[in-house]
Amino acid sequence: MTLDELRVGQEARIVDITLSGAIGQRLLDMGFVEGTCVKIVRNAPLIDPIDLLVRGYHVSIRHAEAKGVEVEPL
Amino acid sequence: MSRAFTVAVAGQPNCGKSTLFNTLTGARQFVANYPGVTVEKRIGLFAHKGDRITLVDLPGTYSLTSYSLEERVARDFLLDESPDLVLNIVDASNLERNLYLTFQLVEMEFPLIVALNMMDIANGRGIDIDPSRLSDELQVPVIPTIGNRGKGKRELREAIWAMCVDKENHGSWVRVDYGEALESVIAPLEVKLSRQAHLASHFPARWLAVKLLEDDPEVRKLVTGAVAERDYRLSHSEQGKDSIDAGE
Repeated sequence: MTLDELRVGQEARIVDITLSGAIGQRLLDMGFVEGTCVKIVRNAPLIDPIDLLVRGYHVSIRHAEAKGVEVEPL
Repeated sequence: MSRAFTVAVAGQPNCGKSTLFNTLTGARQFVANYPGVTVEKRIGLFAHKGDRITLVDLPGTYSLTSYSLEERVARDFLLDESPDLVLNIVDASNLERNLYLTFQLVEMEFPLIVALNMMDIANGRGIDIDPSRLSDELQVPVIPTIGNRGKGKRELREAIWAMCVDKENHGSWVRVDYGEALESVIAPLEVKLSRQAHLASHFPARWLAVKLLEDDPEVRKLVTGAVAERDYRLSHSEQGKDSIDAGE
Protein backbone atom coordinates (compact mmCIF):
# COMPACT_ATOMS: atom_id res chain seq x y z
CA MET A 1 0.00 0.00 0.00
CA THR A 2 1.24 3.51 -0.72
CA LEU A 3 1.02 6.69 1.36
CA ASP A 4 -1.47 8.39 -0.98
CA GLU A 5 -4.07 5.66 -0.31
CA LEU A 6 -4.34 6.40 3.42
CA ARG A 7 -7.28 8.35 4.86
CA VAL A 8 -7.11 11.41 7.12
CA GLY A 9 -6.20 10.45 10.67
CA GLN A 10 -4.61 7.16 9.68
CA GLU A 11 -1.09 6.28 10.78
CA ALA A 12 1.36 4.07 8.99
CA ARG A 13 4.95 2.89 9.02
CA ILE A 14 7.21 3.48 6.02
CA VAL A 15 8.36 0.25 4.40
CA ASP A 16 10.16 1.55 1.33
CA ILE A 17 10.81 4.67 -0.74
CA THR A 18 10.45 3.84 -4.42
CA LEU A 19 11.04 7.42 -5.63
CA SER A 20 14.46 8.13 -7.02
CA GLY A 21 16.34 11.27 -8.02
CA ALA A 22 16.02 14.64 -6.35
CA ILE A 23 12.56 14.07 -4.83
CA GLY A 24 13.52 10.69 -3.39
CA GLN A 25 16.69 12.17 -1.94
CA ARG A 26 14.78 15.12 -0.47
CA LEU A 27 12.33 12.80 1.29
CA LEU A 28 15.22 10.77 2.71
CA ASP A 29 16.91 13.99 3.87
CA MET A 30 13.72 15.01 5.66
CA GLY A 31 13.61 11.74 7.55
CA PHE A 32 11.35 9.56 5.39
CA VAL A 33 13.22 6.33 5.95
CA GLU A 34 12.19 2.74 6.48
CA GLY A 35 10.53 2.25 9.87
CA THR A 36 9.46 5.88 10.33
CA CYS A 37 5.84 6.50 11.35
CA VAL A 38 3.70 9.00 9.45
CA LYS A 39 0.23 10.33 10.16
CA ILE A 40 -2.12 11.88 7.61
CA VAL A 41 -3.22 15.18 9.17
CA ARG A 42 -5.45 16.55 6.40
CA ASN A 43 -5.93 16.95 2.69
CA ALA A 44 -6.02 20.28 0.89
CA PRO A 45 -9.47 21.29 -0.46
CA LEU A 46 -8.33 20.75 -4.03
CA ILE A 47 -6.77 17.35 -3.29
CA ASP A 48 -3.07 18.34 -3.36
CA PRO A 49 -1.09 18.61 -1.17
CA ILE A 50 -1.38 16.22 1.78
CA ASP A 51 -0.37 17.42 5.22
CA LEU A 52 1.67 14.78 7.06
CA LEU A 53 3.09 14.52 10.54
CA VAL A 54 6.56 12.92 10.54
CA ARG A 55 9.04 12.85 13.44
CA GLY A 56 7.12 15.61 15.21
CA TYR A 57 6.86 18.09 12.35
CA HIS A 58 4.49 18.79 9.48
CA VAL A 59 5.32 18.23 5.82
CA SER A 60 3.17 18.81 2.77
CA ILE A 61 3.71 16.59 -0.23
CA ARG A 62 1.80 15.86 -3.44
CA HIS A 63 -0.18 12.70 -4.04
CA ALA A 64 2.17 11.90 -6.90
CA GLU A 65 5.09 11.88 -4.45
CA ALA A 66 3.13 10.04 -1.75
CA LYS A 67 2.62 7.29 -4.31
CA GLY A 68 6.34 6.61 -4.15
CA VAL A 69 6.24 5.84 -0.43
CA GLU A 70 5.32 2.25 0.46
CA VAL A 71 3.68 1.97 3.88
CA GLU A 72 1.97 -0.51 6.16
CA PRO A 73 -0.98 0.95 8.08
CA LEU A 74 -0.79 0.76 11.88
CA MET B 1 47.38 42.83 15.16
CA SER B 2 43.87 42.33 13.95
CA ARG B 3 43.17 38.96 12.35
CA ALA B 4 40.42 38.08 9.89
CA PHE B 5 38.36 34.89 9.96
CA THR B 6 35.58 33.48 7.81
CA VAL B 7 32.67 31.57 9.28
CA ALA B 8 30.06 29.77 7.16
CA VAL B 9 26.56 29.72 8.62
CA ALA B 10 24.68 26.54 7.74
CA GLY B 11 21.23 25.35 8.73
CA GLN B 12 18.03 23.73 7.50
CA PRO B 13 15.19 25.90 6.16
CA ASN B 14 13.23 27.67 8.94
CA CYS B 15 15.78 27.00 11.65
CA GLY B 16 16.00 30.73 12.38
CA LYS B 17 19.27 31.10 10.51
CA SER B 18 18.61 34.57 9.13
CA THR B 19 17.32 35.90 12.46
CA LEU B 20 20.39 34.67 14.28
CA PHE B 21 22.61 35.93 11.47
CA ASN B 22 21.09 39.41 11.89
CA THR B 23 21.45 39.23 15.65
CA LEU B 24 25.14 38.36 15.37
CA THR B 25 26.12 40.86 12.70
CA GLY B 26 23.67 43.71 13.15
CA ALA B 27 23.59 46.19 10.29
CA ARG B 28 27.03 45.41 8.91
CA GLN B 29 25.84 43.27 6.02
CA PHE B 30 26.38 43.02 2.29
CA VAL B 31 24.31 41.15 -0.26
CA ALA B 32 25.62 39.59 -3.45
CA ASN B 33 25.06 36.48 -5.51
CA TYR B 34 27.09 33.32 -5.59
CA PRO B 35 29.05 33.50 -8.85
CA GLY B 36 27.07 32.28 -11.83
CA VAL B 37 23.88 31.41 -9.99
CA THR B 38 20.96 33.47 -8.71
CA VAL B 39 21.31 32.30 -5.16
CA GLU B 40 21.62 35.19 -2.75
CA LYS B 41 24.83 35.45 -0.76
CA ARG B 42 24.65 37.43 2.46
CA ILE B 43 27.81 38.45 4.19
CA GLY B 44 27.94 40.03 7.64
CA LEU B 45 30.70 41.21 9.91
CA PHE B 46 31.38 41.57 13.58
CA ALA B 47 34.47 42.42 15.57
CA HIS B 48 35.46 40.54 18.67
CA LYS B 49 38.49 41.25 20.85
CA GLY B 50 40.05 43.20 18.00
CA ASP B 51 39.61 40.48 15.35
CA ARG B 52 37.35 40.70 12.32
CA ILE B 53 34.93 37.85 11.83
CA THR B 54 33.08 37.56 8.52
CA LEU B 55 29.93 35.44 8.48
CA VAL B 56 28.70 33.98 5.19
CA ASP B 57 25.05 32.91 5.20
CA LEU B 58 24.70 29.66 3.21
CA PRO B 59 21.32 28.81 1.61
CA GLY B 60 19.05 26.81 3.93
CA THR B 61 19.34 23.13 3.03
CA TYR B 62 18.12 19.87 4.54
CA SER B 63 21.25 18.13 3.41
CA LEU B 64 24.43 18.61 1.38
CA THR B 65 23.93 16.34 -1.61
CA SER B 66 24.39 17.70 -5.11
CA TYR B 67 20.77 17.35 -6.20
CA SER B 68 19.51 20.91 -5.74
CA LEU B 69 21.15 24.19 -6.67
CA GLU B 70 21.06 25.49 -3.08
CA GLU B 71 22.74 22.37 -1.75
CA ARG B 72 25.44 22.51 -4.42
CA VAL B 73 26.07 26.19 -3.71
CA ALA B 74 26.33 25.54 0.03
CA ARG B 75 28.58 22.53 -0.43
CA ASP B 76 30.84 24.17 -3.01
CA PHE B 77 31.34 27.15 -0.75
CA LEU B 78 32.35 24.88 2.13
CA LEU B 79 34.71 22.81 -0.03
CA ASP B 80 36.25 25.58 -2.14
CA GLU B 81 36.52 28.41 0.36
CA SER B 82 37.31 26.21 3.38
CA PRO B 83 36.03 28.61 6.06
CA ASP B 84 37.76 28.71 9.44
CA LEU B 85 34.70 27.15 10.98
CA VAL B 86 31.08 26.30 10.32
CA LEU B 87 28.32 27.59 12.54
CA ASN B 88 25.46 25.12 12.31
CA ILE B 89 22.14 26.54 13.43
CA VAL B 90 19.75 23.89 14.63
CA ASP B 91 16.04 24.19 15.42
CA ALA B 92 15.80 22.80 18.95
CA SER B 93 12.07 22.16 18.50
CA ASN B 94 12.89 19.86 15.60
CA LEU B 95 16.17 18.39 16.68
CA GLU B 96 16.08 14.97 15.05
CA ARG B 97 15.61 16.21 11.50
CA ASN B 98 18.07 19.09 11.97
CA LEU B 99 20.85 16.83 13.24
CA TYR B 100 20.96 15.14 9.86
CA LEU B 101 22.69 18.18 8.40
CA THR B 102 24.87 18.43 11.51
CA PHE B 103 26.22 14.94 10.90
CA GLN B 104 26.97 15.77 7.29
CA LEU B 105 29.07 18.70 8.50
CA VAL B 106 30.77 16.45 11.06
CA GLU B 107 31.58 14.00 8.26
CA MET B 108 33.12 16.81 6.24
CA GLU B 109 35.41 17.30 9.25
CA PHE B 110 34.90 21.02 9.67
CA PRO B 111 35.58 22.78 12.94
CA LEU B 112 31.97 23.12 14.05
CA ILE B 113 29.82 25.03 16.52
CA VAL B 114 26.17 24.14 16.99
CA ALA B 115 23.72 26.91 17.92
CA LEU B 116 20.72 25.27 19.50
CA ASN B 117 18.19 27.85 18.38
CA MET B 118 14.53 28.42 19.30
CA MET B 119 15.07 26.96 22.74
CA ASP B 120 11.96 28.82 23.96
CA ILE B 121 9.75 27.09 21.40
CA ALA B 122 11.24 23.71 22.25
CA ASN B 123 10.60 24.32 25.96
CA GLY B 124 7.07 25.49 25.19
CA ARG B 125 6.44 22.17 23.48
CA GLY B 126 7.68 20.31 26.51
CA ILE B 127 10.98 19.36 24.86
CA ASP B 128 13.85 19.38 27.31
CA ILE B 129 17.34 19.39 25.76
CA ASP B 130 20.57 19.18 27.71
CA PRO B 131 23.08 21.23 25.65
CA SER B 132 26.15 19.98 27.52
CA ARG B 133 25.13 16.35 26.97
CA LEU B 134 24.57 17.06 23.26
CA SER B 135 27.97 18.76 23.18
CA ASP B 136 29.61 15.67 24.72
CA GLU B 137 27.94 13.36 22.20
CA LEU B 138 28.80 15.50 19.15
CA GLN B 139 32.20 16.60 20.49
CA VAL B 140 31.55 20.18 19.41
CA PRO B 141 30.47 23.26 21.39
CA VAL B 142 26.67 23.58 21.66
CA ILE B 143 25.31 27.04 22.51
CA PRO B 144 21.61 27.48 23.34
CA THR B 145 20.14 30.56 21.64
CA ILE B 146 16.87 32.38 21.09
CA GLY B 147 17.53 34.33 17.90
CA ASN B 148 14.66 36.81 17.98
CA ARG B 149 15.44 37.88 21.56
CA GLY B 150 19.19 37.98 21.19
CA LYS B 151 19.68 35.32 23.85
CA GLY B 152 22.96 33.48 23.55
CA LYS B 153 24.44 36.13 21.27
CA ARG B 154 27.36 36.99 23.51
CA GLU B 155 28.19 33.33 24.25
CA LEU B 156 27.99 32.48 20.56
CA ARG B 157 30.31 35.31 19.51
CA GLU B 158 32.79 34.28 22.16
CA ALA B 159 32.64 30.60 21.10
CA ILE B 160 33.10 31.51 17.42
CA TRP B 161 36.08 33.69 18.18
CA ALA B 162 37.66 31.15 20.53
CA MET B 163 37.46 28.42 17.89
CA CYS B 164 38.75 30.68 15.12
CA VAL B 165 41.90 31.60 17.04
CA ASP B 166 42.49 28.00 18.17
CA LYS B 167 44.54 26.54 15.32
CA GLU B 168 44.54 23.13 17.00
CA ASN B 169 40.84 22.77 16.37
CA HIS B 170 40.00 20.01 13.96
CA GLY B 171 36.27 19.54 14.51
CA SER B 172 34.60 16.48 15.93
CA TRP B 173 36.20 13.03 16.02
CA VAL B 174 32.75 11.47 15.93
CA ARG B 175 32.36 9.07 13.00
CA VAL B 176 29.01 7.68 11.95
CA ASP B 177 29.04 3.89 12.07
CA TYR B 178 27.25 2.64 8.97
CA GLY B 179 27.29 -0.98 10.12
CA GLU B 180 29.34 -3.98 9.05
CA ALA B 181 27.95 -4.29 5.52
CA LEU B 182 28.82 -0.71 4.53
CA GLU B 183 31.93 -0.24 6.67
CA SER B 184 33.61 -3.21 4.95
CA VAL B 185 33.30 -1.28 1.68
CA ILE B 186 33.98 2.21 3.04
CA ALA B 187 37.25 1.27 4.78
CA PRO B 188 39.22 0.00 1.74
CA LEU B 189 37.83 2.82 -0.42
CA GLU B 190 38.95 5.33 2.20
CA VAL B 191 42.48 3.90 2.18
CA LYS B 192 42.71 4.12 -1.61
CA LEU B 193 41.37 7.67 -1.65
CA SER B 194 43.74 8.83 1.08
CA ARG B 195 46.65 7.78 -1.19
CA GLN B 196 45.54 10.31 -3.79
CA ALA B 197 47.63 13.13 -2.40
CA HIS B 198 45.95 16.16 -3.91
CA LEU B 199 42.45 14.80 -3.24
CA ALA B 200 43.24 13.87 0.33
CA SER B 201 44.78 17.26 1.08
CA HIS B 202 41.49 18.98 0.22
CA PHE B 203 38.77 16.55 1.23
CA PRO B 204 38.36 14.02 4.03
CA ALA B 205 38.91 10.57 2.49
CA ARG B 206 36.11 8.97 4.47
CA TRP B 207 33.63 11.61 3.34
CA LEU B 208 34.68 11.04 -0.30
CA ALA B 209 34.23 7.28 0.17
CA VAL B 210 30.72 7.69 1.59
CA LYS B 211 29.74 10.10 -1.20
CA LEU B 212 31.08 7.73 -3.87
CA LEU B 213 28.90 4.97 -2.43
CA GLU B 214 25.93 7.34 -2.64
CA ASP B 215 26.90 7.75 -6.30
CA ASP B 216 27.09 11.51 -5.87
CA PRO B 217 27.76 12.83 -9.40
CA GLU B 218 29.89 15.82 -8.28
CA VAL B 219 32.15 13.73 -6.08
CA ARG B 220 32.49 11.10 -8.81
CA LYS B 221 33.63 13.84 -11.18
CA LEU B 222 36.06 15.15 -8.55
CA VAL B 223 37.63 11.75 -7.98
CA THR B 224 37.83 10.66 -11.62
CA GLY B 225 39.20 14.11 -12.53
CA ALA B 226 41.91 13.89 -9.89
CA VAL B 227 42.92 10.39 -10.95
CA ALA B 228 43.07 11.38 -14.64
CA GLU B 229 45.22 14.40 -13.81
CA ARG B 230 47.64 12.32 -11.79
CA ASP B 231 47.96 9.76 -14.62
CA TYR B 232 48.62 12.58 -17.04
CA ARG B 233 51.34 14.05 -14.85
CA LEU B 234 52.89 10.63 -14.29
CA SER B 235 53.03 9.88 -18.00
CA HIS B 236 54.69 13.25 -18.64
CA SER B 237 57.17 13.14 -15.80
CA GLU B 238 60.76 12.26 -16.66
CA GLN B 239 61.67 8.60 -17.05
CA GLY B 240 63.89 6.76 -14.61
CA LYS B 241 62.22 8.10 -11.48
CA ASP B 242 61.11 5.55 -8.97
CA SER B 243 57.55 4.69 -9.78
CA ILE B 244 54.99 6.29 -7.52
CA ASP B 245 52.26 4.11 -6.09
CA ALA B 246 49.82 4.06 -8.96
CA GLY B 247 46.82 3.17 -6.83
CA GLU B 248 44.06 1.42 -8.69
